[in-house]
Parts: sequence; C-alpha cells; structure tokens
Amino acid sequence: MTDLPGASRAAGAAPQRPLRANPLLRMARREPGLLLGLLLLGAIILVALFPWALVDASPYAVDVTAALKPPSAAHWFGTDDTGRDVLARVVYGTRVTLSICGGSLLISAAIGGVLGLISGFVGGWADQTLGRFVDVLLSFPPIILGVIITGVLGSATINLILALSIVYMPVFFRIARAGTLSEKEKTYVEAARSIGINEPTILRRHVTRNVMPLILTQYMILFPLILQIEAALGFLGLGVQPPAPDWGAILEQGKNYILYAPWMSVFPGLAVLIAALSLMLVGMALQKRIDQR
Amino acid sequence: MGIYLIKRLGASLLTAFIASILVFLVVRMVPGDVVAQMMGQAGDPQAAKSLREFFGLDQPVYVQYITWLLKVLRGDLGSSWTRGMPVTMMVGQAFLVTLEIGLLTLLIATLIGVPLGILSGIYEGRPIDTAVQSLNILGLSAPVFWVGLMLLVAVSGIFSWSPPLRYMPPTRSLGDNLQILALPVISLAVLQVAAYSQFVRQNVVSALRQEYVRTAIAKGVPVRMIFFKHILRNVMIPIITFMGLILIQILGGVVVIESLFALPGLGRLLLTSIETRDYPVLQGALLVVVATAMVINLLIDLTYRLIDPRVRVS
Repeated sequence: MTDLPGASRAAGAAPQRPLRANPLLRMARREPGLLLGLLLLGAIILVALFPWALVDASPYAVDVTAALKPPSAAHWFGTDDTGRDVLARVVYGTRVTLSICGGSLLISAAIGGVLGLISGFVGGWADQTLGRFVDVLLSFPPIILGVIITGVLGSATINLILALSIVYMPVFFRIARAGTLSEKEKTYVEAARSIGINEPTILRRHVTRNVMPLILTQYMILFPLILQIEAALGFLGLGVQPPAPDWGAILEQGKNYILYAPWMSVFPGLAVLIAALSLMLVGMALQKRIDQR
Repeated sequence: MGIYLIKRLGASLLTAFIASILVFLVVRMVPGDVVAQMMGQAGDPQAAKSLREFFGLDQPVYVQYITWLLKVLRGDLGSSWTRGMPVTMMVGQAFLVTLEIGLLTLLIATLIGVPLGILSGIYEGRPIDTAVQSLNILGLSAPVFWVGLMLLVAVSGIFSWSPPLRYMPPTRSLGDNLQILALPVISLAVLQVAAYSQFVRQNVVSALRQEYVRTAIAKGVPVRMIFFKHILRNVMIPIITFMGLILIQILGGVVVIESLFALPGLGRLLLTSIETRDYPVLQGALLVVVATAMVINLLIDLTYRLIDPRVRVS
C-alpha cells in the first residue's frame, strides 16, 4: 500500500501542525483512546506474564481463620470464603482468563477465517452450504450458544474453549468471506491469473494477505465480547471450575456472599471491565483505520 | 416486495428447520440422560428401561426428531419430563417475563441512549462528546451481571433495600412487579444505553458529513430545520432497526440476569432444563429463543424496505 497525498486528507481533518518529535505525545493528542488502551493492555499483559512479581500470596493457599476478611494492608482485595487472598486470585486469574479467551478466539479466527476465505473465493455450492450453516449458528444469541454447549457437554475447561471458539466463528467467517468477495474482483487478482499463477496460490499469497487486516481487527473487536461471555459462563458455574483462579469463577464464588463480602465480586469484575475496556479502545482505533482505508 | 418476502420467509424457515435439528442433536449429546438423573447411581435397570421407553428414548434419534417435529408443527411442544406440565405453557409463561424485561430495557435504552447519541454526534469532538463516549465505553466494558451485583450491593448499602425475592406478574401487582424488575432491567440497560448511544452517534456524525447538509448550511437553512428535516430523518431508519438488534441482545443477556435475580423467564428456564436434562423444555425454550430472534431480524429487514426506498430498488 502506498500513501497517496489525497488519502490522508480524510484522516487528518485538523490543520497540519508541525509534528512533535515524541511519538507518544503525538498519539496522546491524536488518539488518546488508543494510547490509554495500549498502556492498559501492556500492563495487563505484564500482569499475566509475571503475576508473582506483583503478589506474594498464592492464589490457592487456604486459610480458614482468615476467611471473608475485608480489604486491608495484608490483603488489599480482602479474602474469600476459604481465606484465600482475592488479589492473588485476580492477579493469577489474568493469565487463565485471557489465555482461554485469546486462545478460543484464535481458534475461531483461524477456522472461521479460512472457511470464509475459501467460501468467498470458490463460491458455488460450497459457499451456499457453509453460508446456510453459519446462518443457523448466527440465529442463536452468542451467550445462549455458549450456555447450551457448555451446559450440555458439562463444565470443563476444554468444553469452555470449544464453546467460546464456536460462538464467534460465524462472525469471522462472514468478515473473511465479504473481504474475499471484494478482493477477488480487484485488478491484481486478474493480473496474477493472467500471468498464469494458479488459484490456490492467488488465494494464499494475494487475497489472504489483504483480508488478514480485517480478521485481525475483528479479533480485537470481539476480544472484549468473548471476555464478557467467558465471565458470564464462569458466573453461571459453566466455565473454569474451582479452585483454578479465573475471573468468572471467582465471581461465581462471590455471588453467595455478595452482601456480606462484596469485595469478592467487586475486584474480579473490575478486572474484566478494565481488560475489556483496554481491548475495546485498541479495537476501536484499529477499526477506525480500516474504515479510513 | 411479494417475491422478496417469500424468498426471505423461505430462507428463515429453512434456517429454523436446520436450527431445530441442531438443537435436537446437541441436546442428545448430553452425557447422562434424564432417566439416569432421576434414578441416581443405584437405579434398577429394568425400571430405567421402561422409563426410557416411556419417554421414547429407546427409539432411534431420527424417529424421536420426526415425532417431535410433527407435534411442534401442531403447536404442541410436548410435556416436561421433570414437572409433567405442558412445555407450551411453561415456555409461554417464561416468555412473557422475558418479554417484559426486554421491552422495559428497550424503553430505557431508547429514552436515554438516543438523545445522548444525538447530542454527542452533533457536538462531535467537544467535551460533551468525549464525556458521553467515555461513559459509553465504560458501559460497554462492564459485564452485565457484575453491574447487577454492584447495584445489589449499592442499594442494600445506601438504602438498606433489596428487591423482593418472589417474582410477581404485573397483572397481579404492578408495583411489586416493577420493584422486582428494577435492578435487572437497569443492569441490562447500562450496556444497551451505551450501545445505542454509540450507534446513534456514529450515524449522526456521518449524516452531518453528507453534502446535502453542507448545502443546506450554505443556503442558510436554520439549524433547527437542518436537524429535523435532514439529519433526524436520515438517522431514523438505523435508529429503528437498531431496536431489533437490542432486543436480540437482551434475549441473550437475560440468561445471566434472570439467574442472578431469580426471575422465572426464558433464560432461567433454559438453564434449569439443561441442568435437569429436561429435553422437551430445553428444546421448546431454545426454539422460542431462536424463532423470536428470527422474527425480529425479519421485521428489521422489512422495516428497512418499507422506510427506505433505496433498499427496494437494489
């Protein structure tokens, strides 16, 4: 992609000022949301990678004598009904929750994306059949689809991942298919075809490369949504099972003590909110760029 | 229009048909059926066998499906395996509860979300827009059930009040009914207000960029007139259709909210029927959820075509 002088006009409607030297400051002025999102996301990733750097307590250490203690200097987020440190559980839960959500969404993006690419490129009966099946999946509200799959198969992490992978697969399918349909009409595809490049190569080398940004953006946009579905399933007892520290599971556990020990619910919920917020800010900024293109 | 309607209905029915097969199959993938659940660990195999025969579980799956489908087409969803009641009645009662929650949420979302969206769209880039957008993003990020939990804590802490535990239909006591529904509806509405206002804002912003608006401004048309005649009229179509999408969203959201606030709606019926392996109820409830979503989608499409002549031409 080359930047044409006219292309940037729509993006930067504001009068051109001399660019500041510091790119962070520039981003803070132009896209404060993106900057905030990236900073939060960076912090969350650090927490997920190095939870032990943040807390000393173990997320599994039970201490019945210290059960249901409110937040204090010793336990910043208080303790749960078995005396475990809520801060430690939320911090260690970051890795569990985000890897389940991120991994499941990666599976849906890979399968949904590839099917969408093929479906859009090949067309014909394969496209019709896949399209019909995707319509059926889309006729279920996402969370209900998740509830049925996890409810029917039983609560186990593997079933949760399966359910979460299926929930948004149709969305990736549609995005990839629509992108492919518009790409395959373009001149470069015709050019590649006329110099004798075979169809699979055109799809793999040329079309896929141009549809990829759409899929990646969709990934960021759906991430906060899948995070909330994961938390909701956990809250219903259909997600990650105790004692594993998962945000949804901690919330489920706190549900019974909501009026006596609200800290058990406040903090894991805030964690979901902040993670969703940061992902959403980044996703929105990416979407804006795609739209401007 | 006629041909379109037939095609569209045909496609919806085909989707519904495949969805019903899927529902039927998925339900039967459950490890441990209702009989195993009723009898417990040390069940008498002979009794289990006759119970399975009674429920028709000894038949091949396709026979079970056809029997079920033929009944459904006559409006009979069978009867609950655990409670013996007709599923049509159970699902119908639950549907009314969910419908009330949905409509109340939609009402709040529309009354607050639309004006906020218009305001923030008109003042794009100004502080008020930034404020509304920040609130929207917060509302979109907060898990619905967590908002419900926090509301529970807040009202009990501040007003020492908690909602009545037993559900009361609006026909019996509207006051009690609204007291029970207040927190669940507000929790659902937080998300939907944010979604609605964000959506309306985008539409207003893009309407403002249209050339006819620029022309109107250049001609000296009063701002009020530009707003009502040019902007509002063009934004109205997406605003109306978005209502349908909100209703579908709520249809999903109620599963968690109804379970949290112990409301006897479709969402909770779904959950309990999964737990008890009550296939007829589960199938019936799912069918109603999917059918409702489909009807809403169909209505969205049709309103689009009715209001916007351009869609009819293309």
